Amino acid sequence: MPIQLTSQAYCKMLLHTAKYPHCAVNGLLIAEKSKEKKKDGHGVPVLCVDCVPLFHGTLALAPMLEVALTLIDTWCKENNYIIAGYYQANERKKDSKPNQVAEKVAARITENFSEAAIVMVDNSRLTVSCSEPIVVIYDHHENKWRNREVTMYASDCAFPLDVQAFWTCHSAKCTLRLNFSPATFPEHVKLCSLNRAILKHSETFKIKVM
Amino acid sequence: MASVSELYDVGWEEMRDKLRKWREDNSRNSEQIVDVGEELISDHASKLGDDVWIIYEQVMIAALDCSRDDLALTCLQELRKQFPDSHRVKRLTGMRLEALERYDEANKHYDAILEDDPTNTAARKRKISILKAQGKNGEAIRELNEYLEQFVGDQEAWHELSELYINEHDYGKAAFCLEELMMTNPHNHLYCEQYAEVKYTQGGLENLELSRKYFSQALRLNNRNMRALFGLYMSASHIAASPKVSAKVKKDNIKYAAWAANQINRAYKVKFMKSLVKLLELLSCFFFCFWQLCKTS
Repeated sequence: MPIQLTSQAYCKMLLHTAKYPHCAVNGLLIAEKSKEKKKDGHGVPVLCVDCVPLFHGTLALAPMLEVALTLIDTWCKENNYIIAGYYQANERKKDSKPNQVAEKVAARITENFSEAAIVMVDNSRLTVSCSEPIVVIYDHHENKWRNREVTMYASDCAFPLDVQAFWTCHSAKCTLRLNFSPATFPEHVKLCSLNRAILKHSETFKIKVM
Repeated sequence: MASVSELYDVGWEEMRDKLRKWREDNSRNSEQIVDVGEELISDHASKLGDDVWIIYEQVMIAALDCSRDDLALTCLQELRKQFPDSHRVKRLTGMRLEALERYDEANKHYDAILEDDPTNTAARKRKISILKAQGKNGEAIRELNEYLEQFVGDQEAWHELSELYINEHDYGKAAFCLEELMMTNPHNHLYCEQYAEVKYTQGGLENLELSRKYFSQALRLNNRNMRALFGLYMSASHIAASPKVSAKVKKDNIKYAAWAANQINRAYKVKFMKSLVKLLELLSCFFFCFWQLCKTS
């Protein structure tokens, strides 16, 4: 099933990558929960409206990842969203394949949302000008994660034009060092209903990375 | 584009002191270092005295991080002129070649340094970094282990090795590296907390209990470490939920988890209140100025 990214989700992902150029970064993709029950699982593509940047640096440690997934899942349930995917940008420039961490997290997401996808940022094509999508999307077929072709298309979201404007504007801001930076996990979920998430012990996202 | 001194209204001394602070903190804010340093060396180099050489080195490394080869070459040439036979400058030459992905030539430079001085740690570490950059994690780990057999006290190297092991999912060996770091830095809450995370990731009841203890230790050393607080909650909850524990252990861990949850809630309330207070202060300032303006006009 095709996955679509809005310009906000796409740009936030790239800005997170650009904010920590010397680290691996990861995060989650959020989609609006569809009210209609799909009969055969095909048809309407999944639209990821936003992303939640998670961590940078060492991504392969479990405790904070579990906390993040639990909190974000709770927030999504309350606001009628669903975790629809996972994005990651690796540390090295020429490395854009999903690693064990990406596959494990995506496998967990797939348990709750069967059409989950992994979006890997292609570091080698990351530039200030934004003329083509620089992500590689993987989805789950026959127990393997296979990559799929990515295309831009003009729609109501005006993906390419929006992205160009957004990216040019914000990359220029980055070079002039005005106060812009995408907030990462702790800041993003600050105002969620933390009480319920914490007091309810959730087994949902216990990750065993080994 | 406006210069840094115009944008932030700072003089050259403040810029020099800022660079010194970033040097001492070892922070990797390369874009800022390049902006400040480039202006400092182009406009005020003569006033810096002997500091100028270390600033050249700092700016050169930051320039490599930002793909500013022009600036890096300028700094390197100044350093070469001043210190023609220096190993430190040779290492910088090697780093520039690494940035240009000319790894074989860079390796030749480092081998030449090591032939001259086999105890030069910087050159050995750069060779290991080249292996890491090429994705040869296994070889990097091997070389780093050999390095640490000779230089047991190098904490930076132990930390790098722990990260390499974590990326290879070899959590047992990563824990060993962090144990070495905790022995030499018993008051560093970050090492305790990272050790606890590695133990948690390893899994199993014993490791979970150890992880809970080290999260607690991290909190004792720094009670504002939010990651340790979350970690304490998660590890205590998992132990309490495990079918293998006795009723007393279950009860104790539920108590610990509840305490951690309470502390987390308080911390979030305080942070929310603080930002609300700041917002109110800003607003009241604005209204006051506006009122003053209205009074005078």
